[in-house]
Amino acid sequence: MQTESYLGEGQRPTSNANSDAASSILVADCGNAFTKVSLLGLVEGQYRLMARGETPSTIAPPHADVTKGILQAIGEIETITGRHFVSNGRLISPEQPTGDGVDLFVANMSVGGPLRIVVLGAVSPELENLAAQAVSGLYAETYAIPAPSYIAAGQAKPLSTVPRGATPIPNAPWTQERLALEWERQLERMRELQPQAALIVGLTDSPAGATPLQEACQLIINAVKELNSQSGEQFRLPVVYAGAPQFVEAVRRLLNGYGEVTRVETLVSPAQLGPTSMAAMALYEREIVQRSPGYENLHSLTRSTPVATTSSLSSLVRFLAQHYAMNVTAVDVGASATTLMMAGERGEFIPLVNTGVGVGQGLGSILQQAGFARITRWLPFSITEEELREYVMNHMLHPEIIPTGHRELQLAQAFAREAIILGLEVLQKQGYGAFDADLVLATGGVLSHAPKFGQAALMLLDALQPRGVTSLVLDRTGLISQLGAVATVAPIAAVQVNENDAVMHRLGTCVVPFGELPPGQTAIRVGVEYSNGRQVTAEVMTGSIEIIPLRLNEQALLTLYPAPTVDVGLGPGERARAAEEIDGGLVGLIIDARGRPLAFPKNETERQARIMQWMQVIGA
Amino acid sequence: MTYPQGWPVVPRLLVRRERWPGGYGMRGTALVYPGQEVEPHQPVMRLERIDLRARSGSPASSPIIVPAGLRGRVIEITRRGGVIIESRAALIQGSIGVGNQVAGVLTIWQAPLPNRPPQQIPPGAILVVPVPLTFAMLRQMLTSGIVGVVASSIAARDLEGFLGADLITLMSSVNHDLIRLPPLTLLFTEGLGELPMPEYTLNLLKRYVGNVALLSGFTSVMPRRLPELLISLPHEETQGNWQPLTPDPELRLGSLVRISAGEHRGQVGRIEYFFMHQQAFLSNVTARAARVRLEDGSGLVVPLANLERIAE
Repeated sequence: MQTESYLGEGQRPTSNANSDAASSILVADCGNAFTKVSLLGLVEGQYRLMARGETPSTIAPPHADVTKGILQAIGEIETITGRHFVSNGRLISPEQPTGDGVDLFVANMSVGGPLRIVVLGAVSPELENLAAQAVSGLYAETYAIPAPSYIAAGQAKPLSTVPRGATPIPNAPWTQERLALEWERQLERMRELQPQAALIVGLTDSPAGATPLQEACQLIINAVKELNSQSGEQFRLPVVYAGAPQFVEAVRRLLNGYGEVTRVETLVSPAQLGPTSMAAMALYEREIVQRSPGYENLHSLTRSTPVATTSSLSSLVRFLAQHYAMNVTAVDVGASATTLMMAGERGEFIPLVNTGVGVGQGLGSILQQAGFARITRWLPFSITEEELREYVMNHMLHPEIIPTGHRELQLAQAFAREAIILGLEVLQKQGYGAFDADLVLATGGVLSHAPKFGQAALMLLDALQPRGVTSLVLDRTGLISQLGAVATVAPIAAVQVNENDAVMHRLGTCVVPFGELPPGQTAIRVGVEYSNGRQVTAEVMTGSIEIIPLRLNEQALLTLYPAPTVDVGLGPGERARAAEEIDGGLVGLIIDARGRPLAFPKNETERQARIMQWMQVIGA
Repeated sequence: MTYPQGWPVVPRLLVRRERWPGGYGMRGTALVYPGQEVEPHQPVMRLERIDLRARSGSPASSPIIVPAGLRGRVIEITRRGGVIIESRAALIQGSIGVGNQVAGVLTIWQAPLPNRPPQQIPPGAILVVPVPLTFAMLRQMLTSGIVGVVASSIAARDLEGFLGADLITLMSSVNHDLIRLPPLTLLFTEGLGELPMPEYTLNLLKRYVGNVALLSGFTSVMPRRLPELLISLPHEETQGNWQPLTPDPELRLGSLVRISAGEHRGQVGRIEYFFMHQQAFLSNVTARAARVRLEDGSGLVVPLANLERIAE
């Protein structure tokens, strides 16, 4: 794992409430498909989760108001608790002696599409990568459009292609005609993307000099002029300038009337990611969150500024890593984005929000990026490509659909696996190596609402393919994403609920031997010594999963005897004995000897049988 | 799913729509003024494609005269030359569609029969096809001179084959101005698959055969936009104490609903009971649910999230 300092916190909500005295807190998590609200309250002096409600999102017409979904979800909580929290469409606050009302209300938001940012100027492949990293922890997407002169100087690839039928000439000269074609193509790209912001990057040390920065400005001017002439508006594009410092004033002058320029530290290396990330976060808050339908009504419910859900989740993940002194990987598979966050005990942090990839509106992206074969390899049945595509398109239009049949459920879970894998691939492309997590924390509807714990465990093992020894924990209550927001107004409440309720669904400890697993033979022998002295030994064959009973709140000492070419973290063939007892879980002690990377039989019938076998063993 | 207007079929609504046939690089010149009453056949705009490369943005093609498509009152002329018209109309919202806004005369398709002469379809019509469409039917319609089709459903493969485009990409795009599509606007009331058009939808369409309608096929998932057909109500239906309907999108006891997923997708029924506690389904997923009495008399327990309200 590479060490990365945290890239940016985003906004910190403010609250005028006396959080120390708060005995009840409502926290809302507004997503694109669902709105979830949780009620936290004091029980015997400790904050606990009291009740929760969940309704389809009301961000789209006819409601077009995020607060309607919040009030509907609160209505569910009212039904469960018998208490009233809303009167005449307004929140009752503070909590009354009757028990009605609530002391604090905070909200997370992940609604609206991702912020689309074009990266312009002297965009080298390295800068393109850095720009993507700068926004990787946000609901934002970057699209690089290097300046034509920069491309002509051989520093980047063009957007324009050779006309059909012509033979590409690798070193064809950049004639005026070719440059004009590239300009046209870039303008077309701007029209396709309809970006909500621009990031200008690059120094002047290439053969193109300062011309790329000028061309970046010209592209913005051309695009904005065209947009304004079509719409009749006087739109100005928000621009973050992270290029050569000596030209910032010239850029401001050039873009006067067409762009609102914010200057940040020049982006040249990972050390400068923070300021760019902060600027992108501010743009996301302004251009996406604050334009959400009903946002102004949200302020009538809470004095706290809504927090982006990724900020909320990242706070909690980093807290867990430092508090428990372990490496934590968090996975959140949502309807339109998949989030991966990796936090180390020394403060290292790698966030990724893979926008557009999700199991609701984002299902199409998964199919397009992963492909038919990768998705169907997880299914214990056959399906045609047409059936799969119709499933995808129906779900994109109805992201709130609940799977009522086995087939639909397994399809949803197959897509969830690929959503996570696609995120890992993005991190690999960004140069991050394997991250050996001590704890994997899973959230998001498709994981949290998996009807069987074994299904959630199998999705995580299949997608993340951890190695060595890892614990799996499931956020069944959907609280993880909310607790970060709670922590900003009532940190004690967040800690207590986290310890009491948020992570109570421990799935179990996984032992994953890796290396050269001997085919057809025992990959690892596992010795388990329970607290009551009982001992169990299991021999796990290569290619299989075994579950050794170890219940929630049960502990045992583990000794591992891998085959000579098999590793469990201490080197091939090295016996490992845990210094401390390991925890059980709702699934048990999972020994996953299927090998890394996972391989599937080529024969379709065998593949389906193998998948069914894995599901049956793990209780999926 | 909740439809943007609350229900997929609304027999009387007060709507405001911009008359804008779309297309990249177009500019409109209004031929009407705010406050003016217009009829569906009446020209309201002259549309020209402008040369964006030219400094003056001069026209690059012959102008197209655009009819209102709606009966009503001009509210505003937009900066791009579109005309916002307020109209008392009936609305049909589709599940999926493609294509720019077009106006045409509603015509019901007649299935070809051996003893029946071929149907005479007026050019510029919007054809209503109450059965699932096929690729072959679409290809035939393309050369028939019609401007749009309102059908019940179509297989994804057939639709993509006709469009020559990936539907997933289309649904994920914020606009289709730069995508070359066949010049036929499509709206599918039931979406993808082989589902027939429900009676309540077909009845409304039959009622207004021969009337001009405004059809828009654009569909996107984020932001969510659905295709729609608007039919201005005749004068005689808007006299007296006319009141628009305010569709209630909430699921209530007795509401007419449609099942949006699963084995019974497309079936219609009425909610007869809401369960207090979450119900378990075959998938072992538990969810808040209702019992629905289907049109064939059978009862079914369905997750609330899989129901969409379609009428009272």
